[in-house]
Amino acid sequence: MYTSSMLKKEFLNKWIKGLQICCSSKNKMDLMERKKKIKLSADIAMASANKTATSWSNALISEAKKNKQDTILVSQLLGSKSPLKLQKSTNMIISIHKRVQCKKILKRSCFNAGKRMMKKKKKNLGISRSNFATTIAKRLVKKRTKVLKRLVPGGESMDEVSLIKEAMDYILSLKVQVDVMRSVVAAAEVLIDDKLLKLVE
Amino acid sequence: MEKREETCTELFQFGEESEIQSLMSVVPPPETGNSFTALLELPPNQAVMLLHSPEETAPDNFTSPVLLETPNSILPNSSPNNFSLVKQEPVDSDSVHNSSPNMSDPVISKSTKRKEREKNVKSAAKKSKSIANETDGDKLPYVHVRARRGQATDSHSIAERARREKINARMKLLRELVPGCSKITGTAMVLDEIINHVQSLQRQVEFLSMRLAALHPNIDINLDNIISAESGSLMDGNGNFAGMVSPPLSNQIWQPDGLTPQPLWGVEEMNPNFITPENSLLSYDSSRSSVSLHTNQLKMEL
Repeated sequence: MYTSSMLKKEFLNKWIKGLQICCSSKNKMDLMERKKKIKLSADIAMASANKTATSWSNALISEAKKNKQDTILVSQLLGSKSPLKLQKSTNMIISIHKRVQCKKILKRSCFNAGKRMMKKKKKNLGISRSNFATTIAKRLVKKRTKVLKRLVPGGESMDEVSLIKEAMDYILSLKVQVDVMRSVVAAAEVLIDDKLLKLVE
Repeated sequence: MEKREETCTELFQFGEESEIQSLMSVVPPPETGNSFTALLELPPNQAVMLLHSPEETAPDNFTSPVLLETPNSILPNSSPNNFSLVKQEPVDSDSVHNSSPNMSDPVISKSTKRKEREKNVKSAAKKSKSIANETDGDKLPYVHVRARRGQATDSHSIAERARREKINARMKLLRELVPGCSKITGTAMVLDEIINHVQSLQRQVEFLSMRLAALHPNIDINLDNIISAESGSLMDGNGNFAGMVSPPLSNQIWQPDGLTPQPLWGVEEMNPNFITPENSLLSYDSSRSSVSLHTNQLKMEL
């Protein structure tokens, strides 16, 4: 298993690389631009720091590649890692996503039709607590899984089993990312404060 | 006969609760059914125990604090009391053996009637499976052979069971990851917490990047200093400062040349060298000396 400290090291290295790349390109950048670049480099560093090719990391990288502005940064950061694999994975993801959406639409229509019938039956029979609650609970869980799918990159085209696994991976790497970034920012702030104080003095 | 009815209804309840998980999937859960006779095989005591175990929910968990805090979830208007009956995470049944049967009695009576009327085949099948699944996943001493009448072949149910087991196992791991999830029972609430956690982490990343961007107009200038300072601060903690120190030194060499793919390779070659000595020697001075050695090497290479 990948220990978190190793991940942190790798992530930090790659992130620094990315930052330097993006900073060397342009001299003057807007705050928002800078923030976006920083975040992007952090995300890609995170995704590539994962030695095991998780699907969310591939999805992240492929999304970043789609954006034409960032492709240079991405390609430089990744180095000579196989872009072909990513291309394939993106194509696969897209096709799976479409398939999944079609299925979902069909399911939804069938389920809603069935639901209406069920509701009618229930009304006729008298709404029992347990059934009512179950349907609500089911609905809730469905909604939650939808939200989770949206949150995890590349989660749209995954069944729930792998979704949970991807979510676990993603949470782990997010934690690492946050820790490293926080320490970097804190150190930078301290440094700048010192510098300012020195200037004042 | 009464016992059988009871078990049936209990199974009914139970299965419905686990239907939550089945509905999570994209593919519609296959209709499964085992022979009804299998139901008879199960000793009613065990069935009761099984069924009652998940019913021990803390209704408080489902009430306001968790529900209200979630911005994304669209909360139903029904009272939380309904949830307490339904939302029982099979995962926790291990700890939940001593459930109170009192709570379930009125529900059982109602559900018996419902069940008799509806004969909902799907849910019945799921119930049976869910119960079986639960016992499998939790390694209870119970034998769970469930059957619903008019339901499909066993292969489906087995597959469904295996799937549910997988999901449960992974949900367990997830709960350990996300802080504060172990107390919560019920798939929906756990998912809620997970979603919140992921969102908060993502937001933190954004804020941190904003802070970093706001710090200085040109990031490049202070990067080396930042890294060296951070290396000092992180010395005791992560021990990754050697890795941090290396890129700026290497970059000092490379920047006049412009960033070409070759230097990047060089950095990657250097880093593994850094990591190994750094692991053994945590003192700053020793790493510094190693760093200087490596930079010399790099200069030689270039």
